[in-house]
Amino acid sequence: MTSLDPSRPTATNPPHWAFITPRFSVQGTIGGAETLIKQLALHAVQAGQRVSLLTTCAEDHFTWANTLPPGRETVDGLEVHRFPVDEDRDLDAFYRAQDAISTGRQVDADTENDWMCNNVNSTALCEHLHTQGATYDRILAGPYLFSLIGRAALVHPAKTWLIPCLHDEPFARLAAIKHLFASVQGVLFNTEPEQQLARQLFDFDPARGAVVGMGLDPFEADADAFATRHGINYPYLLYSGRREPLKGTPVLLDFLAAFRARTGRDIRLVLTGSGQFDPPPDLAPYIRDIGFVSEQEKHEAMAGALAFVHPSLNESLGIVLLEAWLARTPALVRAQSAVLRWQCQASGGGLWFRHYPDFEEILSRLMDDPALRTQLATAGRTYVERTYHWPAVMQRLESALQ
Amino acid sequence: MNTPHAETNSPADHTLFTVHAPGVDVEAIVRDIEATVARKMEEGVYDDARVARAERSNLATLQNRDEFLDFYLKCLREVTLINISDFEIRERRRAWAPLLVCLKKCIWNLLKFYTYRLWSQQNQVNSLLVTAVENTDRKYADKIAALEKRIAALEADRPPTSTGD
Repeated sequence: MTSLDPSRPTATNPPHWAFITPRFSVQGTIGGAETLIKQLALHAVQAGQRVSLLTTCAEDHFTWANTLPPGRETVDGLEVHRFPVDEDRDLDAFYRAQDAISTGRQVDADTENDWMCNNVNSTALCEHLHTQGATYDRILAGPYLFSLIGRAALVHPAKTWLIPCLHDEPFARLAAIKHLFASVQGVLFNTEPEQQLARQLFDFDPARGAVVGMGLDPFEADADAFATRHGINYPYLLYSGRREPLKGTPVLLDFLAAFRARTGRDIRLVLTGSGQFDPPPDLAPYIRDIGFVSEQEKHEAMAGALAFVHPSLNESLGIVLLEAWLARTPALVRAQSAVLRWQCQASGGGLWFRHYPDFEEILSRLMDDPALRTQLATAGRTYVERTYHWPAVMQRLESALQ
Repeated sequence: MNTPHAETNSPADHTLFTVHAPGVDVEAIVRDIEATVARKMEEGVYDDARVARAERSNLATLQNRDEFLDFYLKCLREVTLINISDFEIRERRRAWAPLLVCLKKCIWNLLKFYTYRLWSQQNQVNSLLVTAVENTDRKYADKIAALEKRIAALEADRPPTSTGD
């Protein structure tokens, strides 16, 4: 390669990065990991990088139907290439294997193979990497849970960085996942506990990893606007996100019902997001379910809350926690969540509970001590502004890729 | 609470994820809260059926916490026994209230004959089950303590061996 080679990165011809993620939506709903990769790609464009994003034609994460046309489009300077998802999946075999793996017991190689082969794959996307991969200087792929990502990452492993969004779950214990972590050039983690989990599961060498995360733009939210709009005149805890057992919402509902019954104090729960939930009968009248809201309204709901509660155990980065701190609201998380507890420890913006007695004591203190709430919230906001502002994140990303 | 910290990273200091941001020592607050909770547990503040019920969805994550099992068994004891005593029978509606109360008392006296036998047997089963769990827990705790003691004694008799050979 000579200095006249047009593909060689120069000051005027920056390196070409390819991000790979299963779904990409300009405005629609996609998962947290896909949002993180989309944001990293868009900010890499803003930072002056040449960036392509390779994704599928699917929008729905249940059906994976190819509802969008294949081809190229440009979104805010980001070149998006869409490829069809393979339609020859044997869903029965996939779900059989998934159920077996989900039990947490070790599965045989055939079961693992069934799960990988019938997972979401895109032969067309991998073909593109085989034929055009040389044009990319760096390939960043994630999250780890899709075979599509595993296969794409292994086409050019020497210049591929994985963005795994790793959780402590049975799928992370598959031999194929260990092989993936061992094969790629490097791994970009969202938090230090996620990196420690990779070390624990795969004996992953920390020198091959870096903690990057995702940036947030600071905002100001009116603490009274949400309450005024919805006629709320009582103190409330807020939870924003999917309501499901894996996210810990049953624990929050049970604990708050017990708190109200035992202490006689009027603190209620406001929920934004989607999903069914089944509150104890005594608590039901004291829950306000607002459903899907705009980002601004979510931030206003956060700003008006006594505390933001994030009862989930399996997270690689609590983005809503960071948003709550930007809204100047303290956080309450479960001690068993290594990532969320680490975020609270690192920021000084939140407290953590192991069980109901801790919850009762902490919530009572937060209700009785406005100064403590302010101190926690201020520490949280300072931390996010310092550690998760986009220039810092992009600098961490660029350092990791060098 | 306002613990001073040496780390005051500027925004340019991008690579560090500082543990203990300036301003609040949350570790100390949580330690203080845990100490308060431990004291209150000793005092029986949380020996409450409502606490046992609240923990139903959190139990799986507490499996490895020995101290919590003792506490949970105490809570379980509180919810084991179904109240089968008589209770005051009232009527919210004003019209025909005395008559309705008499009717309800009559029905309850008939039901009591049947339900008393049923629930008293259920109470016996529940109590025996909790006792069995408590005894099993105690038995294994004693066994583990005895084994730990024996290991410590054996290790004390031996000269320390180097590791990593």
